[in-house]
Amino acid sequence: MPEAAVIRKPRVLSRVFSAVRLPVGDPFAVVGLVIYALFIVTALSAPLIAPYDPTEILYTENYDLASDLLPGEEGHVLGTTSLGRDIFSQIVWGARSALLVGLTAAFMVAFIGSIVGLLSGYFGGWVDALLMRLADVAFGIPFLPFVIVISAFSEPSIWNTVIAMALVLWRDTGRVIRSQVLSLRSRGYVEAARVSGSSDLKIILRHITPNILPLSFLYGSIAIGWAILTEASISFLGFGDPDAISWGFMLQDAFNSQALARQAYHWFIPPGLAIILVVSAGFFISRGYENLLFPKLGR
Amino acid sequence: MSKFKSFLIRTLQLALVLWAVVTILFLMFRLMPGNPLAAYIDPTFTAEQQEALIRQFGLDQPLWRQYFTYLANLLQGELGYSFRYRTPVADRIWLLLPNTLILTFSSLIVAYAFGILAGAWLAWRRGTRTEAAALPVVLATRAMPEFWLGMVLLAIFSFSLGWFPAGGTRSAGTSYDSLWALYTSSNFLSHLFLPMMTLAIYSQGLPLLLMRSNMLDVMKEDFITMAKIKGLSPFAVVIRHGARNALLPVMTSFAISVGYQLQGNVVVESVFSWPGLGRELVNAVAASDYPLAQGAFLMIAVVVIAMNLLADLLYSILDPRISHA
Amino acid sequence: MTTLLSVKDLSIAYKVGSNDVVAVSNSGFDVPKGTIVGLVGESGCGKTTMARALTRVIADNARIAGGEIAFDGQDLAALPEAKMNALRWRDISFIPQSAMNSLDPVYRVEYQIMEVLRDRGGMTRRAARARAAELFEMVGIDKGRLRDFPHQFSGGMRQRAAIALALALNPKLVVADEPVTALDVIIQRQILDQLRTLQRELGLSVIMVTHDISVVAYTCDRTVVMYAGKVVEDCDTATLLNRPLHPYTMGLKNAFPDLKSAGSGVLTPIAGSPPDLADPPDGCRFAARCPFAAELCRSTEPAPLEVEKGHIVACHRASEAAQLRLEASKPQTWEAMA
Ligand SMILES: Nc1ncnc2c1ncn2[C@@H]1O[C@H](COP(=O)(O)OP(=O)(O)OP(=O)(O)O)[C@@H](O)[C@H]1O
Ligand code: SF4
Ligand SMILES: [Mg+2]
Repeated sequence: MPEAAVIRKPRVLSRVFSAVRLPVGDPFAVVGLVIYALFIVTALSAPLIAPYDPTEILYTENYDLASDLLPGEEGHVLGTTSLGRDIFSQIVWGARSALLVGLTAAFMVAFIGSIVGLLSGYFGGWVDALLMRLADVAFGIPFLPFVIVISAFSEPSIWNTVIAMALVLWRDTGRVIRSQVLSLRSRGYVEAARVSGSSDLKIILRHITPNILPLSFLYGSIAIGWAILTEASISFLGFGDPDAISWGFMLQDAFNSQALARQAYHWFIPPGLAIILVVSAGFFISRGYENLLFPKLGR
Repeated sequence: MSKFKSFLIRTLQLALVLWAVVTILFLMFRLMPGNPLAAYIDPTFTAEQQEALIRQFGLDQPLWRQYFTYLANLLQGELGYSFRYRTPVADRIWLLLPNTLILTFSSLIVAYAFGILAGAWLAWRRGTRTEAAALPVVLATRAMPEFWLGMVLLAIFSFSLGWFPAGGTRSAGTSYDSLWALYTSSNFLSHLFLPMMTLAIYSQGLPLLLMRSNMLDVMKEDFITMAKIKGLSPFAVVIRHGARNALLPVMTSFAISVGYQLQGNVVVESVFSWPGLGRELVNAVAASDYPLAQGAFLMIAVVVIAMNLLADLLYSILDPRISHA
Repeated sequence: MTTLLSVKDLSIAYKVGSNDVVAVSNSGFDVPKGTIVGLVGESGCGKTTMARALTRVIADNARIAGGEIAFDGQDLAALPEAKMNALRWRDISFIPQSAMNSLDPVYRVEYQIMEVLRDRGGMTRRAARARAAELFEMVGIDKGRLRDFPHQFSGGMRQRAAIALALALNPKLVVADEPVTALDVIIQRQILDQLRTLQRELGLSVIMVTHDISVVAYTCDRTVVMYAGKVVEDCDTATLLNRPLHPYTMGLKNAFPDLKSAGSGVLTPIAGSPPDLADPPDGCRFAARCPFAAELCRSTEPAPLEVEKGHIVACHRASEAAQLRLEASKPQTWEAMA
């Protein structure tokens, strides 16, 4: 057995690495990856890119409020809001909120879902029964209303919104990981490891986790899009973090400031496009990733 | 008989899920910050009103007794009084439910009709430039925030072109003899059009992608090859045998979509001031009208769970391999 | 005896990537009217490809690369699609290997039989229903089961239903692709008996595709042996079994139990596997596995010749066949190749 352990170490590592292999063979996924790279760079270097503080109320050279400027006027690429804030800067800073929400939610969803799936699939019995009934309940909870109520009743912050999302969204990941664990368990080598006296923890860490990581990644990457869309809805409805400039908040601001009636397309089109771009990039990547994990001929 | 039994088990399971959701709802609203009485009692209620509510919901009792009172009240359809409307929550919800259901079902019917046809068509055009151009567009519609799509349609077709009204279910000052007269009036339908299209555009992606990939799978089946060897017409091959089989899972997804759609309604109803359950929930939460928020949430949850059950039922009816096991 | 079908020099290629896999190459055989002709060979030798080519419903990546399919005075390989489609099922029907997958799961069996009767046979609903019942009686299924869905049938019943379906329009030729392979031996026999009886009664011509030489021995009047996309031997079944001329046929005989006396005798498989059809060897395709391969065999391809009346074989050493048969009956001959 010690020999086997020595041999297996590098294999565990390489399996983990193969889990994070990027789907570079798929043209869709490559486009998605490029968009993501741009998105992440924008989010990280927001202060460098954005010409103004996104919350700062700006004035023109003649000390008038710089409100409702059209794109290009007074050097504002996308114009300004009714309160005189720079729309382009808000878009740039909005990337930061979106990245934060997307990544944390994806991490939590993948993490909770994987743990639940692992415990449920590996131990079976009452643990499995309990966790899967919990998953049933999570499927019975109306997602958006739940997040709205939690966000509204707790301190308004991005974290509460993210936690509310994770409390429901782990369900899909949990079920998929569980069935993967079940099929892994039925393979010989897990049984062999158990007979030879390996502890449960060891078997889970060494034999099972490396094999389910790709799925956790896949479901995490799908959750990114959901999280960004949901956060936008929450902010749009006015239950978001008032201190964070997010794309959803911009849309709420525009909607409440009669931007539609005033045909201020330059105000509410860009945040929507930004969301579409990032979320569909996520879809493209997860599709490519899925094809990588489950190659389906002729698809 | 065993089919009936498994359906019964599923019903029971979902009843348990409903009970769990109800309990979560109870805890969510009782554990929120502030006065526990706040879930049912607004400070502006008269002393007698407050008394009556405290008695009805056992608000002076310990939490566990309140819980049972709450369950008992729920079973009788008793949801408390809305703070804002000063009317029973149940009345308010029954008033709004039809609007939400009409919006949901009309948009899903449009979405499924389009999605199924377009999905089958894209499967047929597999590997062409049309397909290559269409797929990313479809994926992008799934990536759209629904409320944003609503805003764009509103700005163009209502504010700019003036083709459709901006919100509500009917023009101010109009009245109808019956609900039926209202729902069939051109006034109502023109109000319905934009929110319906918003939800339909967002929802068509699921049936479309599902239909397309099912169609691609089914067209590789032996019975399709056999249909060709039989010399059947292309219609018989593609529609009677191909689409009919590919449609099965798409039809089941309809029920699931109703549940999802109901949640999406929350934002779209808000954009179009559509007096439905979702908008009511948002307004109630924003105005701290807790009984109403709780009631709206519960109603949405009931429909979501009922639709999960319906999906199972549909599947077992539509698939002869299950219905004639 | 008149010839119903005469396949000449047929080649069928699958496009795989930028390669052509020639699954059937320059092969042919005849089907005399009113007989059952067996098409036998190992898995992957091109039997299904050949059989499906007769219906001209072939895979998307397949094409008829040459040759002629003379059927009833027409060349099916060159027939316009509309004419070909008019002929499908009315003149040539097909019994697939897996009736489970080839019946549509969402329609009742009756509907699927009536569908061809009405759509292809121009019958009224009433006439079609009566005919469906008649067909079920012919193949020995209780007509009460017509209203069942395919999954409610047993494997044997499904295969019978597939036969009923194939006979629906009184075709001239029935192509059966491994019609009993998926079934157990007892059911196999019942269904083959049934098929044989029906064939005699109706005067049908049948092509029976199988990899199982005992099925051929049990049912077929003539037998065509294929190896790696080529017909290597073609004659009446009795002669083929008693005096085979091709070493591959001799080997095949050793490799299968007798359907009539299941289980007796030692089986000796032919060692090795068929060549890659994307890049077939020069010379005889069987040379790598043939215990009698000579120098000539590896360099020059043997041409099919009618060495005796009605007995075609493609082997350089066919003239020594009597000697080779003696050798081939010894298991060591084949074991030495392993
Ligand atoms: N669609 C296809 N694309 C590429 N190659 C194919 C295709 N179908 C069949 N082939 C190849 O053509 C050859 C002949 O296949 P075919 O199905 O005709 O064999 P078979 O004799 O019917 O075998 P089996 O007994 O397994 O049914 C095989 O090598 C197979 O791999
Ligand atoms: S030609 Fe030669 S290799 Fe081929 S079968 Fe005859 S003897 Fe064997
Ligand atoms: Mg075959």
